[in-house]
Amino acid sequence: MKLTVNGEPHEHQGNGSIDALLEELGANKAHTALMVNGEMVPSNDWDATTLKENDAVEMLVFVGGG
Amino acid sequence: MKNGILKIGDQELGSRLFLGTGKFSSTQAMLDAVKASGAELVTVALRRFNREQAEDDLYGPLSELENVRLMPNTSGAMNAKEAIRAALLGRELSKSPIVKLEIHPNPHHLLPDPIETYEAAIELVKQDFLVLPYIPADPVLAKRLEDVGCAAVMPLGAAIGSGKGLSTAEMIKIIIRDSNVPVVVDAGLRSPSEAACAMEMGCDAVLVNSAIAAAENPSAMGAAFKTGVEAGRAARLAGLMPTSEVAVATSPLTSFLKQVGSDRSD
Repeated sequence: MKLTVNGEPHEHQGNGSIDALLEELGANKAHTALMVNGEMVPSNDWDATTLKENDAVEMLVFVGGG
Repeated sequence: MKNGILKIGDQELGSRLFLGTGKFSSTQAMLDAVKASGAELVTVALRRFNREQAEDDLYGPLSELENVRLMPNTSGAMNAKEAIRAALLGRELSKSPIVKLEIHPNPHHLLPDPIETYEAAIELVKQDFLVLPYIPADPVLAKRLEDVGCAAVMPLGAAIGSGKGLSTAEMIKIIIRDSNVPVVVDAGLRSPSEAACAMEMGCDAVLVNSAIAAAENPSAMGAAFKTGVEAGRAARLAGLMPTSEVAVATSPLTSFLKQVGSDRSD
């Protein structure tokens, strides 16, 4: 499935679940916040979310900032 | 108000020094500085996950610190809509209602956009955030933000990262006088004496990042700022003496040293 992840094209090999995508990219579930097509998807809703072809996913983590 | 406890909304903090986590040379240097500073509230930013820079993810390291709460910022937001989105994402990770609202679209001066900040604050308060807005040192704006329910106001001392100190001191004094929510000087401080000065003026806390992160020894500077903030707060509570335009002697000016027969006429 073709996705855009953090602005880059990504060919997703899994079943389109959020868990599968995070695992595929090596991201820590508990440390990652997610937007799909500009809308935040709370972690409580991840299980009920299935990604579709051409979805734009933003994966965000905490980094240093003032 | 007790010396030690600062209340922001329903949150109680034992330290009046808030720390930013940007610009440190390493995660370990940042963690050491946080510990040395005694800060209980630290800011973090959101960034896209990057597999090649997984060590930049501060969630794990910061969550291991005891008694430290995270305050996600909305850095990078150019307007209210983006800031609200960033705040929601930050809350997803921090699991805390505290947010540092910052909207500064111009990278040259990084000065806050007061209109977008005000609009974002209204919406975030509605969504049950404890909003701490980074603002220009404008007493009118500070009051308006208090009126719409912000938990504190954070006027800048000088431009972010500039180290120019309390260049807005006179305006901050007015904000302190009129404010019913905590006033936190955010940005511009360079030295612990400036932090002490802000606290002596009556600020409730200071937020420091560059001054500690860019010090030769960040951990030692964190400890120095801790002392500065505590000294300034203690001085404020102790009550500073009034000033005078002329000298007021501290020793008795009696003339017993005057020699008998001296031709001096003092």
